[in-house]
Formats: sequence, C-alpha cells, structure tokens
Amino acid sequence: MTDDPFIEAEYCQFTKNGQAACGDNVQIMKLDDGRRLLAAVCDGLGSGVKANVMANMTGVMSLRFLESGIVDIREGMEIIMDSLPMCSVRKISYSTFSLLDWRLGELGRIIEMGNPAYIHLRGTEEVQCVCERKIVSKHWPDREVREADIDISTGDRIILCSDGVTQAGLGSGGDLAFGWRRRGVLACAQDAIRANPDISAKELARVIAERARDIVPGGCLDDITCFVCYLRKPRLMRVLSGPPFYKERDAEFASLAKALGEEHTLVCGGTTANILERELGRRIEISMDDIRKAGKMPPAGTLRGVAKVTEGVLTLTRVTEELDDGNSAEGQPGPVSLILQMFDAHDAVEFLVGTMVNEMHQEPSMPQDLDIRRTAIRRLANILRRQYRKRVSVKFF
Amino acid sequence: MDKVKVEICCGTSCYLLGASELVDIELRLSPDIRGCVEITGRPCLELCERENIGQAPYVRFNGNEIMCAATPEKVMARIVELAGEGGSSC
Repeated sequence: MTDDPFIEAEYCQFTKNGQAACGDNVQIMKLDDGRRLLAAVCDGLGSGVKANVMANMTGVMSLRFLESGIVDIREGMEIIMDSLPMCSVRKISYSTFSLLDWRLGELGRIIEMGNPAYIHLRGTEEVQCVCERKIVSKHWPDREVREADIDISTGDRIILCSDGVTQAGLGSGGDLAFGWRRRGVLACAQDAIRANPDISAKELARVIAERARDIVPGGCLDDITCFVCYLRKPRLMRVLSGPPFYKERDAEFASLAKALGEEHTLVCGGTTANILERELGRRIEISMDDIRKAGKMPPAGTLRGVAKVTEGVLTLTRVTEELDDGNSAEGQPGPVSLILQMFDAHDAVEFLVGTMVNEMHQEPSMPQDLDIRRTAIRRLANILRRQYRKRVSVKFF
Repeated sequence: MDKVKVEICCGTSCYLLGASELVDIELRLSPDIRGCVEITGRPCLELCERENIGQAPYVRFNGNEIMCAATPEKVMARIVELAGEGGSSC
C-alpha cells in the first residue's frame, strides 16, 4: 500500500432549528486513485428545502464541470447561476459557494462566491495564497467570484465553511456583535491544532461546527457547515480475515498481523484467530462482558498488543450494511461499533484475505446470505473506497 | 479448588444456531455457583467441521468436555453438576 500523503476530506453539518432539510450542501469527489480532490461547500438562498435544492444543484453541477474540464469553471458558474430556480418571493436565484480543486503535487485552486473566505493552515500558521484573481459575473454583475491558487504541503489543512459558522452568535453583543467571524473560526482551529497537532479533518470540522452551534444558547439559527481537508501521512489499518489457502503461509500471515499493533489491526474470523493464537503463542481474550456487549452478534475479543478480534463473515456483512446505510458506530452492538470506529479512525485499509473456504458455511442449512468471504470483503472494500473515500487495498492469501 | 471453566464458541455457525442465547447464563446462576465458575468466549472451537459430532452451538467444559446443541438450561445444569462435583467450597 502506497505511503503517498493522504487527502482526508470531511465535514460536519447542523441544520437550522425547525428545518427538515439543510440549506447547505457539501460535495466531495476523489479522482485518480485519490490523488485529486474536488469539493464544494454551497449555501442555498434562505433555508429548508428550497435552499437545499439550490445548494445541491450548485454543488453537483460545479463538481461535474470541474471533473469534466470541458467547461471552464468561470463559464460554468454563469451556467449554474442562470439555471438555478428563481425564488418566488425575492425574485433571485442564489447559492453562495466555495470550491476546491486540487491534484497532489500541483497548486490547488479555490473558487469562492459569497461564502466566508477559506482558511489555509500550516500547523497553526495561516498561509497566504500564491495568487488571487477576482472575476465579476457577466450575467450577474452584482456577483463577484474570487479565485486563489494555493500551495498545499503535507500537514496543511484547508477549512471552508458556510456563513452559518462565521455569523454564529450575530447580534449577541460584545465580541459577537458581528458574529463569530472568520477570525473566531481561525482562532478555534488554531487552538484545536495546538491542543492536538494531529487532529483529523473530521474531528476539526466537528470542533468548529459544534463551537458555532453552541456559541450562544438556542441551537442553530442558520445552517452550519464546516469542511476540512487535511493532507496527512495516512493512518494505516490492517484487516486479516480467513485462513490462508496454503498452511505453509500461516506464519507469514501471522507476522503481518503483529506489524501495526492492537489499535490498528483487526482479525475477523474464528479460524483466522486460532491461527494467530497458535503462531504467536498468545491467547485471545473474550470476556463475558464482551459477550454481553455484542448482544445477538458474536463478540469481539482482544489478542493483547496485537489485534482486535471478531467473528468473520456475519460481522463483516453487518458492518458493510451499516456503512452502506451511512450509520455511525453509536448504538451498534460491540463488535460492529468497534469495527466502525476503527474504519473511522484510519485513512488507509489493507485487507489480507485468506482464501480457504469454510465448508460448513456452504451447508444448505446455513443462511443463503452467508456470503463467501471474498465477495463480502470486495463489497466492503468498494464501499469504503467509494462512499468513505478511504485508500483500500485487498490482497489474497 | 479450581473453578469450572466454561468456554462458549463464538464462531459463525454457533452464533447462527443460537449461541447468543447463552449471553446471560452467568447472571442467571445463583451467586454461590457464579463464584466458582469462569465463563469466557473462544473465537472458534472448530468443532463444526468435524464429522459425527452434534450440532452447534458448542460449549467446552474444563478444556475437554464438549456440549453440542447447547442451550442456557443445559449449560447451567452442567455447571451446577460440575461445581457440585468440585467439593464443598463451591
């Protein structure tokens, strides 16, 4: 698995009080095997469903324009602004936006209209752009698009947010007379990075969005969205599942299991776990407490210092379903929660899949959806890659 | 005296055939029996692949005695028997 820096791109969003739909929209797309990132943070006019439609259309269209490269993005902006449905009350069509188009090893490009200006941090220091241009729309002369070229190095973070963040607390008096403002967001990000220099994009986005939500009592008075992109050394985890086809490879398989440590290694499958116990001369611990926490699922255990251990195909199938449905670890049975948290805390997932088939699983009395391991893991790998933008590799043993 | 060791198989077949029903056996034992039994899970006892052995779920007692088609009632009854055989301290 490549050690190339990893682009972690995540966001945190809260919907305005009383609205069923968020009026902000975030689109994230990774291309070229994760080497190019396209992202859009859009804030539709007003709030609720109408704003959601505006923001969504803007986000999807702008990413398609950037992706295809057929339409120059400046021209694309005109097309988007011309296409948005007109608000029947205010007689305008509108979604402010921030776009990021960046390929590893090249300058990144930020295009903004109406949204708070982006923040580029190297550690806790703010980085200025390489060059900046301003373009006034031909069809909509009151709208100005800012375009900036930025030079992103490993360890840098880019923060984009909707005005629900910078205007949080607006009118509350004192320091918040004009809202939290961009400088409030910047200070919050700097404090969070100072406290935890490796803070993930997901965590930083959550810290900023929650701070904006809680800055004054009463919840969200506007839709709140914070997007963070962090160019980092990938956090690697390894998943071993299934006994190797050739018994002679058991020792090699076991040595791969102990390379990364307990927090970064997951062993899925009873026979696989037994092989590791035998090869490493250590015992897997599964307590009654683990069994209780698992509910109806087979419990998770620990091969101390080496790996977390779970049952194989039932657990992985359930995890795949939860990921596919976009569910979080919260409230899940112990082993499912454990695996979801591990995926959440890592950028790159390496699956080492033993191809020996457990004949018992093929018995007609077993459920039909007791999928063959290889198929189950391929599906899981695809979801992690496509829906969660992880760097994923699958190697068969 | 040594505690009665009870190992519940946590493999796929065992869970499909009802091992999760064994989740609360420890709590259902009387406090005096609970003190002389040690219940843990095992990743897989690898019994389902053997021929001429009963159906899952499997439970192993004291490292050598296998119970097939284990139910909470059967497991608790066997624990009580083994604890009784162990002597007066349990």
